[in-house]
Amino acid sequence: MKLTKSSLNHNKWFLLKPKLVGILVFLFFCIIFSLILSQQYHISKKAKNDAMDTNLQAINKSIEQSLKKNYVDALTLALTINDKGVPEHFQSIGKQILASDTNIDAVQLVPNGIIRFTYPLKGNEGATGINILTNKKYRFEALKAIETRKMYFAGPFELNQGGLGILGRLAIYKNNKFWGFSAILIRLNTLLEKPEIEKLDQSKYYFQFSKINPITKKETFFLNTKTKLNPKNAVSSFIPDGDWKLYLFDKKPNELLLTFAIRSFLALILASLIGFLTTSFFKKPAELEILLKKQADKLLKNEIKFKSVFDQAAVGITYVDTNSGQLLEANKKYCDLLGYTEQEIKQKKIQSIVHPDDLQESFLNFEKLKKGIIREYSTERRHITKSNDIIWIKLTISPLWEDNTYPTNHIAIVEDVTERKLAEEAIFNSQQRIESLINTVDGIVWECNAKTLEFTFISKKVEDILGYTSEEWINTPDFWVKHIYHKDKDFTLKYCAEQTAQKLNHDFEYRMIAKDGSIVWLRDIVNVIVENGEAKNLRGIMIDVTKNKEIENDLNNSFNLVSEQNKRLLNFSYIVSHNLRSHTSNISSIVDLIDSSESEEEKEEMIQLLKSVSDSLNETMLNLNEIVNIQTNVGLVTENLNLKQYLDNTLAILSDQIELKGVTVVSSIKNDIEVNYNPAYLESVLYNLISNAIRYSHHERHPTIHIDCFNESKKTVLQISDNGIGIDLNKNGHKIFGMYKKFSTHKDSKGIGLFITKNQIDAMGGSITVESEPNLGTTFKVYIS
Amino acid sequence: MTEKTIWVVDDDPIYQIIMKKIIHKSNIFSSAYSFTNGKEAIDTLKQIILKDEKIPDIILLDIEMPILDGWGFMDEITILKSRIDVPIQIYISSSSIAIEDKERAKNNTGILGYMCKPVTLDDLIKIASV
Repeated sequence: MKLTKSSLNHNKWFLLKPKLVGILVFLFFCIIFSLILSQQYHISKKAKNDAMDTNLQAINKSIEQSLKKNYVDALTLALTINDKGVPEHFQSIGKQILASDTNIDAVQLVPNGIIRFTYPLKGNEGATGINILTNKKYRFEALKAIETRKMYFAGPFELNQGGLGILGRLAIYKNNKFWGFSAILIRLNTLLEKPEIEKLDQSKYYFQFSKINPITKKETFFLNTKTKLNPKNAVSSFIPDGDWKLYLFDKKPNELLLTFAIRSFLALILASLIGFLTTSFFKKPAELEILLKKQADKLLKNEIKFKSVFDQAAVGITYVDTNSGQLLEANKKYCDLLGYTEQEIKQKKIQSIVHPDDLQESFLNFEKLKKGIIREYSTERRHITKSNDIIWIKLTISPLWEDNTYPTNHIAIVEDVTERKLAEEAIFNSQQRIESLINTVDGIVWECNAKTLEFTFISKKVEDILGYTSEEWINTPDFWVKHIYHKDKDFTLKYCAEQTAQKLNHDFEYRMIAKDGSIVWLRDIVNVIVENGEAKNLRGIMIDVTKNKEIENDLNNSFNLVSEQNKRLLNFSYIVSHNLRSHTSNISSIVDLIDSSESEEEKEEMIQLLKSVSDSLNETMLNLNEIVNIQTNVGLVTENLNLKQYLDNTLAILSDQIELKGVTVVSSIKNDIEVNYNPAYLESVLYNLISNAIRYSHHERHPTIHIDCFNESKKTVLQISDNGIGIDLNKNGHKIFGMYKKFSTHKDSKGIGLFITKNQIDAMGGSITVESEPNLGTTFKVYIS
Repeated sequence: MTEKTIWVVDDDPIYQIIMKKIIHKSNIFSSAYSFTNGKEAIDTLKQIILKDEKIPDIILLDIEMPILDGWGFMDEITILKSRIDVPIQIYISSSSIAIEDKERAKNNTGILGYMCKPVTLDDLIKIASV
């Protein structure tokens, strides 16, 4: 670890200073490039100088050759001198020489230093007679020719005939005695008319020709040049035959410098580029290195932070070997929770501190964790402290191994929840108690949402009373609404909504359908729970009042029966008070009149009257007897009777009247309709209703009677309707079925028929209704149960 | 001797005969008329008013009658009252001894009294002298 770190440090300096590295690389390449360039420069320079040298040597050689030829010419000329020291055939030989060597302008023989012979003489006459050994101008060089015993070329100098000329002199000895000179005159231009010179690249070179003045010792240049030339840029060669110096000047001495300046510049750029690239190349690692360092610092800080979090945490944290259950590390809080010291806890295995009852669950969870089925889990379980107390903890386990790898360690975070657990237990117990209390209430205790009517609670009693379980009730949102008996549903929901809207507690009764399909009467006592001024919940108790209802119904039936009987009694009292009394009062009056009668005739008249009173009293008595019979139900036998047959009988009895009034009877009664009835009553009912219909026919219409039979809510209905004079039910409705109620002045009207009919129908457990409009007709409906 | 007229409104024909005899015997009334129900009586009364004839002085009215009973007659006569300038003595004469009938008669200001049948000669003389 340390080693790696130091090596890292060693490598680090250049990783950390990319600019410095860049500069160093730049300098390195600068040196390399400058070395290469200087090398190249020197090579180029040398090559250039060599080229110049070669050219100059070629020129030199060419000139020397030409000079050698002149030497031969001078010798040839010297051969013209005979033994006596007099030239022979000078003119012709001179001519030959000039012809053979175009370089030569003239030849001379100078015996004893005095110019005597010249060819061609023309143009050179001026030279004849000059003693060159005495003439200052020529003496030094003439002597040099003697001295060297070689041909020596004097000049160049201004020729008398104009231009620059060179005079080559060869000292001639005759019999070892100096004779004189053989001289050849060459024009400088002619001398320099060499292909080597002409071939020179004028753009590159300047050629120059110089001589160090033998007298002044000053170097004289003989060729004109436009610019002043620096000897440093030239190569030179020396021709000893005339003490001449040949120069070849470089016309573009800086040509190489320019090229190399460009190259140096490019090299500089290249080096800079490499330096820059190096810098950027090292920059990234440097940044990464800095980042790495920062991260490492952060990591270290985090480690410290986590360490302190671990130590100071308000929850217990422990680090456990997953396979053995050995506690490896635990923070202070964890130790405090269990009452052990840190040293003690490290000796413990997790199995030894978990409550035995919770070990199994713990084990199962760990198996899942190890197999990778779950990645972490939270649970609540009991631990046993050092002092053998039981504490409840909330536990979160996080494994520290990667997915699909072998289990190693895990972290367990624990929190003491003992108090909460105890509180929960207390709440649970109290809830249990309340629930069992609620379940002992002899009614269904419930709670529901005031708006949706969805139930949130319903006590178990619902199973006893309605047969449904609490679960099925709660799990179906509109269970209650769905199971209200259909006839009660509208009123129940409406009433409940109205009361709830007014936030009024209410208490009402309705029916519900139990699970076995039976109808159960419930009394629902509802409390409206208001929160923030709005009805939020409804709570209440539903009490089974089916039995009460049955009793109530029985009571009502009894009451109705008694009321009915009372009514009949009252009617009977009317009968007594009105009908019987009207007869008795008549009798009384008649008896008085008989007493006070003044003649036998009158008496007889009164007795006749008394007889008719007696008859009607008798009739009334018979009617009363009949009614009493009906009402006491004495000997009431019922049997299945064919309705059609009875109707036909009745119509047969009434056939005379029907014919008389021209009534049309329309019957829809089918042959197979049977009713369970007393035969006499059925006869009587049919007779009374049909005879009424015939009797009260409208004299302006063709009387028609419709007789129908149909079912209306499980009851057989016999309907008899006519188009007769009708009854004003608004005025007479309440007394239509009363005794001696007549609604017309009809002579046969006795006011007893409908009274008897109603009593007979009532006695059979049925009922009769009437609908009528004056002048339109009347419809009676007889309900047969 | 007297100019009084009496109407008997009752559907019992025997009673009508008896009353005719008694009225005749009383010798108080110049004329007597019988009606078998309230409607006949009220229709006649309307005719009399229209023709401006003699309006009855006394009416004996039964309660239970077809078409228009005693109470119905009283309702109709109340409507006509503004057109009648002479007072009519109306008595109920019924065989009913029901208390509710008597109470009802008592509460009706148009009815002067309730007479239980049988109506005697003395009764007639008594009401005629009022």
